[in-house]
Amino acid sequence: MKEFYQNISDALNMLYGLEKDLNIGHFTPNELKVFYTIIVRSAYNKEGSNITEIVEHSGMSRSTVYKTLKKLSTEGIINLAQSEDDGRESLVLLNSVS
Amino acid sequence: MKNLLLYSLTAFVFSSVLWIIWSFFTVQSEILPNWIGSLVYLPHAARVLMVVYFGWKAIPGLYLAELWGPLFVAQEAYNIPIMLPSMISVMSVPAALYSLKLFGFPLGTTLKSPLNKRNYKHIGLITMISAFFNALLVNYCLNQMHVNFEPKTGMLIEADINQVLRFFIGDMLGVFIVFIFLAIFLKPVLGNSQSKL
Repeated sequence: MKEFYQNISDALNMLYGLEKDLNIGHFTPNELKVFYTIIVRSAYNKEGSNITEIVEHSGMSRSTVYKTLKKLSTEGIINLAQSEDDGRESLVLLNSVS
Repeated sequence: MKNLLLYSLTAFVFSSVLWIIWSFFTVQSEILPNWIGSLVYLPHAARVLMVVYFGWKAIPGLYLAELWGPLFVAQEAYNIPIMLPSMISVMSVPAALYSLKLFGFPLGTTLKSPLNKRNYKHIGLITMISAFFNALLVNYCLNQMHVNFEPKTGMLIEADINQVLRFFIGDMLGVFIVFIFLAIFLKPVLGNSQSKL
């Protein structure tokens, strides 16, 4: 059993490092939902998802999404860039963990 | 053989839970389209976590979950022989670990270990290599067995580079999401486990 707990402890240590570097432990469930949506959408749009898509797929209100994007951007987790096709639209890009 | 049952049972339960969650989001709620070659494939996280931390003892449980998961979740959709592709998927993680060992990166737990199982970046590397093996070998196997069916039409198709890429990206993103979820969900425990070491 000791070996089992040691292995679990190693796994928890790995997760602790990830949580510490990403620094997302203080997010609310709604903010996390927006964050997960950004991750999932990143698989479909490598050039970044627009905010309308994130609102649609997260099921959150536009204001919650905007507030969360601002928070994620301030903390360096995502990057907001202007769309080349439509200057009024912002594209959301995931930053890689350094 | 010590703790074989415990490790195998833990792997089976963890993998099964991820299968059920993944099936809900992909097959049942249809949030993520084209679930064959899903772009967010959660069960790969169970393969990586269990094999990295529990070793070969987790393989029987993982394999059982790989057989049980598809049959329980979408029997009609998985109307193909899955014994061999499932085995390849499970063995993709040991194959990644073995390849890294061959290149002089054995898995360890200390800072001096070339590959440290406490470092999530190293686990990320293992995930990437195993996803590569899984994508390549499973699709090769599906082609050879002539069982790669298009999910909507049911027509037999060749697994092309797009499908291989979908498998690869799906495994990577699936692991990423599960790790983030676990890191947040287990946050109260993580602080304690760190302070005790």
